[in-house]
Amino acid sequence: MKYFVALFLLFSLSVHAEEAGREGAGDGDAAIREEVLTVKEAVLELNKDLYALERELLSPATARASFHLSLNYGKFFTPMSLTLSVDGKVQIQHLYTEQQFRALKMGAVHPLGDLNLSPGKHTVTALVRGVDHLGQDLELNVAQTVTKTSKPLITELLITDKEDLQSARLELKYW
Amino acid sequence: MGYPARLLVLTTLLLASLAQADSLKPGDKVPDFTLPANKGLAQSLHEATGSPVMLIWLGECYDCPESIVRYQILAESQKIEGLKGWFVWSSENPDNKPPKMRLPMLMFSPELNNAWLFEERPAVMLISPDGHLDHLILGDLAENYQEVETTLMRWLSDTRDGYLVE
Repeated sequence: MKYFVALFLLFSLSVHAEEAGREGAGDGDAAIREEVLTVKEAVLELNKDLYALERELLSPATARASFHLSLNYGKFFTPMSLTLSVDGKVQIQHLYTEQQFRALKMGAVHPLGDLNLSPGKHTVTALVRGVDHLGQDLELNVAQTVTKTSKPLITELLITDKEDLQSARLELKYW
Repeated sequence: MGYPARLLVLTTLLLASLAQADSLKPGDKVPDFTLPANKGLAQSLHEATGSPVMLIWLGECYDCPESIVRYQILAESQKIEGLKGWFVWSSENPDNKPPKMRLPMLMFSPELNNAWLFEERPAVMLISPDGHLDHLILGDLAENYQEVETTLMRWLSDTRDGYLVE
C-alpha cells in the first residue's frame, strides 16, 4: 500500500515539475526544489506512520515483549556475544563490538529486539559469553519465568559487577 | 502488499545481496558484516569506516601460519597509517582449526546474522576508508605476497594523499 502511495506522490510531483518547468526556469527551479523537499518530507512522514501501523498490526501491545541489555561498570566482565531464548527456542543472537562495549560502559542500553509472546508464563533464558578482567572466558546466564499480561512486557538484562567476588552477574529486570 | 508478494520481493533482494557479496569487484561498496574474532570483541566493517582495511580471506589452509605470517607483519607495520588488518577464517571441516595469529582472526559461520562469505578464497581485499573495494587480489597468498605488498604501499600512500587534499 505504502509503495503505491509513494509512487502516486512521485508521479504527481513529476507532473507538477513538468508544469512548473513551462512557466519559467528561474523562479521555477527554486519552487520545484521547495516542492520536492515538501513531498520528500511528506513521504517520510507517511512512511513513518505506515511503519508504526504495520508494527501495531504485526506486533500488538498484547503480544509485545521488548528485551534490552545494559552493563553496570563492566570492570569484571566484557560481553562478547549474547543468546536469548524463550521457551527453549533461540530468538535473539548478538555479537558485541569494541564500539558497542564502550557505549555500554558509558551507560548505553542496547535494545535487543521485540518479540511476540502470547499472554501467560514463558521461560526466558539468556547466555552472555565474554571474558573477565583477567582475560579468562566467562559465561553468565540467567533463566527466569516471566508472566506476559495483556500489557507490553519490557525487560532488561543487566550485567552488574560483584566487587566481593571480583566477578559479574546477570539479572533479568522488568521496567 | 500480500504476504506471498512480500516474500517474493524479500527473496529477490536477499538473492541480489548474496550475489553482490559473491561477485564483488573493485569499485563496489563492500557489504557490512559483523564477525566474531578468535580473541577480543567482534569486528564490524561499518565501525572501521574512516580507516583503510586489509581483509585477508583464508582458504582451507593447513600450513597457514607459515604463509600468512608475512601478511601479519605487513599489516602491523602499517598500523601507524591507520590500517586495520583482519584475517577471515572459514572451514567446512570442523576439525580444521584456525591458526593463532596476533591480528584478529574473524570466524565466519553460516548461522551468523550479519555475515557473508567471499567465495573466491584465498583473496586479499583492500577496502577504502569509505567502505569501497579498491583492490582485490585473488589466489595463493604466498605467491601473491609481493603483489599485495606493492599494491598496499601505493594504495595507502594514495589514500593518505587523497585525504590530505580533501
